[in-house]
Amino acid sequence: MRPFKYTSATDISSAVKGLAGKPNAKFLAGGTNLLDLMKEDVERPDELIDINRLPLTNIKTITIGTNQGGLSIGGLGKNTDAANHPLVRQQYPLLTQAILAGASGQIRNMATNGGNLLQRTRCPYFYEVSMPCNKREPGTGCSALQGVNRLHAIFGWSEKCVAVYPSDMSIALAALDAVVTVRNASGQERAIPFADFHRLPGDTPEKETSLNPGELITAIELPKNNFANHSYYLKVRDRASYAFALISVAAALELNGNKISKARIAMGGVAHKPWRVLKAEQLLVGKEATEANFRLAATAGMADARPLEHNKFKVELGNRSIVLALQQALNGSKS
Amino acid sequence: MREKDKLVGTPVSRIDGILKVTGKADYSVDHPIKNAAYAILFKSTIAAGTITNIDSAEAEKSPGVLAVITHKNAPKLNVKGGIRGGAMLQSPAIEFYGQNIGIVVADTFEQARHAAHLIKVDYDKKTPKADFDKLASEAKPPKDNHDEKWGDAKAALGTASYTVEETYSTPIEHHHPMEPHAAIAEWTGNQVTLYSSAQIVNGAQNAAAATLNLSPENVRIVSPYIGGGFGSKGGQWANLVLTAVAAKVANRPVKLALTRNQMVNSVGLRQQNFQKVSLAATKEGKLTALAHEITTHCAIDTEFVEPCGDCSKIMYDTPNALITYKVVPMNVILPTYTRGPGKSTGSFALESAVDELAYKLKMDPIVFRIKNEPAKDPSNGKPWSSRKAVECLQAGAKAFGWDKRKMEPRQNQDGDYLIGYGVAAGTYPAHQRPSSAIVKLNREGSTVTAIVELAAADLGTGTYTILAQTAADALDLPIKNVTVHIGDSDLPPAAGSVGSVGATSYANVVNDACIKLTDELIAKSGKQYYARPTASQLMVSEKIPTHQTRVDSKPLASAEEYSAHSFNANFAEVRVNKLTGMVRVSRFLAVTGAGKILNPKTARSQIIGGNVWGIGMALTEESVLDPRWGNFVTRSLADYHVPSNLDIGDLDAIFIREEDTLANKMGIKGIGEVGIVGVAAAVANAVFNATGKRVRELPITPDKLL
Repeated sequence: MRPFKYTSATDISSAVKGLAGKPNAKFLAGGTNLLDLMKEDVERPDELIDINRLPLTNIKTITIGTNQGGLSIGGLGKNTDAANHPLVRQQYPLLTQAILAGASGQIRNMATNGGNLLQRTRCPYFYEVSMPCNKREPGTGCSALQGVNRLHAIFGWSEKCVAVYPSDMSIALAALDAVVTVRNASGQERAIPFADFHRLPGDTPEKETSLNPGELITAIELPKNNFANHSYYLKVRDRASYAFALISVAAALELNGNKISKARIAMGGVAHKPWRVLKAEQLLVGKEATEANFRLAATAGMADARPLEHNKFKVELGNRSIVLALQQALNGSKS
Repeated sequence: MREKDKLVGTPVSRIDGILKVTGKADYSVDHPIKNAAYAILFKSTIAAGTITNIDSAEAEKSPGVLAVITHKNAPKLNVKGGIRGGAMLQSPAIEFYGQNIGIVVADTFEQARHAAHLIKVDYDKKTPKADFDKLASEAKPPKDNHDEKWGDAKAALGTASYTVEETYSTPIEHHHPMEPHAAIAEWTGNQVTLYSSAQIVNGAQNAAAATLNLSPENVRIVSPYIGGGFGSKGGQWANLVLTAVAAKVANRPVKLALTRNQMVNSVGLRQQNFQKVSLAATKEGKLTALAHEITTHCAIDTEFVEPCGDCSKIMYDTPNALITYKVVPMNVILPTYTRGPGKSTGSFALESAVDELAYKLKMDPIVFRIKNEPAKDPSNGKPWSSRKAVECLQAGAKAFGWDKRKMEPRQNQDGDYLIGYGVAAGTYPAHQRPSSAIVKLNREGSTVTAIVELAAADLGTGTYTILAQTAADALDLPIKNVTVHIGDSDLPPAAGSVGSVGATSYANVVNDACIKLTDELIAKSGKQYYARPTASQLMVSEKIPTHQTRVDSKPLASAEEYSAHSFNANFAEVRVNKLTGMVRVSRFLAVTGAGKILNPKTARSQIIGGNVWGIGMALTEESVLDPRWGNFVTRSLADYHVPSNLDIGDLDAIFIREEDTLANKMGIKGIGEVGIVGVAAAVANAVFNATGKRVRELPITPDKLL
């Protein structure tokens, strides 16, 4: 860890102003990822602005446009509190399941909702500072492309980067069409649709989100939906707890009788961002909720997969996981 | 003392438990040493080649830095002094990725770590040998060869009606004890005290002394508590002597702790093995041949080969056997003893193959094992000191409900889950090693207290407690009146807590010392006794204020005439998600015959702890090398998957009553190692029973079951 300046902000305005014009300064929220990366010498900020005291922890009912009865989750609320909030549990059990599938109890108690979105990849070559990594040092190359890449991407990767995005929470948020609200140093707020929040690596894998420099995540907004009775977060991993996903699937269905009126499927562990499986969703709408249709949807959703040398299994596993998650969603499984 | 009042054999809670859970037990770098500076190691970022330049100018100017030590300015050490794995800053040669190439010493840990980032190293880089899959074909018999042969296994295999010939693969594993390797060095003149974690206190003393060119009297090891070791703290590694070097150069006491990431290339590992097992049997299920051919890797310049064929030498009665080893040097850190060395990995191969053969014979694998139970040690013809392998299988089958197993795979389903049962046997040798102990008695009024002293080690397994129990019984004292001092090389020399010899060696010597002390008190009284009085009675009746004695114990000379081993039987029930391939061990039972069980509570913890690692070996644990560069991509406990609580279902341990005074006077066999032996095979066999898929390459991750 390199020496850095530490300051603490007590209100939102001074926090965002404090970061303005300082490309090497960062906000410090839960620190569960940032501090690790600093100790590993991957992140080298020269200043940390502690934002843990900002009043951005509320969870409250809101209206988004004409959509009444949505929920706003404060950017600095703790993951544990978000997962266990009665409104989240009742209206967005998919989010509860996804958050609780991630990390450990201790980490979720520290980690914030906004910070969770900004988690960086756990690609081992990103962590090993002696190795080439375009994400850490643009232009040096991707070590994983020809390296050990069992855990890496099968969708949307580029020659520059094959890393996957690690968050579980974000996979549910992608399925739930969340909106991220952010504020900049001038005090302006803007709302970023979740699908646009994270980026594919392309030629600039170092740029992972559409946040502009100095913007602070103030809240995550969830529009009201009718998925609460039929949603499921499936996480397949190498051990039962405290492991990143080999494949995860957030599945949500709105049913009219046994006919699917809306479907949402997002995958984790497969791409540089939460991967919405739009083809599968489109295929399901208007169809009966049957295993046969789930299989058709899964096959369509996985058709574009481009596996690497060590992760070919993710195609079959992804296919099966979509089917299983949809079945569990149909059965109204809750965990 | 009345038999029913004896403490040995009862579940006494560990006497150091309160100290540990309240944070009052000082582990290596916890010791409060005044004016200590902090050191951090920095490491090579290539696996093979030579350092051409180290630029530490910026680091040396960094705030708080007291010294930067590299091969350019390190004191000359004796690299053949017994420290394992080299990497002691004696040359610019690089033999593995993450080799120690320097130390930064600073006033604070943070200053040292920061300065280490400022050091620039240039290398002349060579292509490392790090791809075991490719190098395995170049493996050659090791210099220290343990090949074994009787009869003609290959010929018998050629003519048998039922055979299995398969290759089993186990990955590199790391010990990853909770307490990383760490030490404090404090010099006084030419004498150094090393607060460290040592499974063999005197071994650490001798290795550090020889390496630092000191006599053993000038090195003191203080190691009262150990936060786990699993073999990695049996031999000592460069970090111990480099702490002493740092303290000498900085002229301050120095604390040096490895980071979790540094643990992957500092203190050994369990090597990757390819094991070909060939079995042949008659149609009645009599084993006629067993061949176990092992290929593994070692360090580039030092050999270490796990004895993977050991179980195969003694488990089954066979007229023809062949056990061979081959090894290939690689640019990785020296492999070392790792829990159940050779037996845990070897039993995975052997006991998987036995299960495969039983399936071919359409025979219950327990029946097959009992049919092939050897009356004497097949490898040397010696009688068993005792062997309860069959009893373990039978008692386990009953307790586990083995009769509910359906032999054909995929017959037991519960919704999306396939349920399977697996069994596997295991064994580990039982030995006593020479040890010495002093027992001191003091009396105040009618209260007698005892102090037991020996340079034993407690890995966290309960050495303090079993020695207090042993002494309390032998002296006729309440356990609270017994104080145990161990983990200090100033105490009488003792065996290590390694290879399941600790409890046997320590309890026997303490018991011997107590008997000798009682004899001396009887002699001192000058009286004749109808019934032998106890030491505590004599201290009071003869009004003796204080008495002490020392004894040096050796194994029984007659023990060599017998083959002495612990045996077990492991039973696993797994639930496999038939879509995702995720496996959970819902129930696990280990039944062990290991002589006298000194403390069923700490013994149970030992066994189920071994079971958990065995389950990890079966399902989750693997250290992955990048063959291009020789670095481990499993860098931390987030990547190296030890089982989490959620991975482990119900565990149970049963001990078979076994009295064996042929092995040693107290009839103890040791349980530290055997708890992991056979576990991975039981789980893998259960996975086959559940799914019909035989996974011969550990760990059994979900992708292997799709």
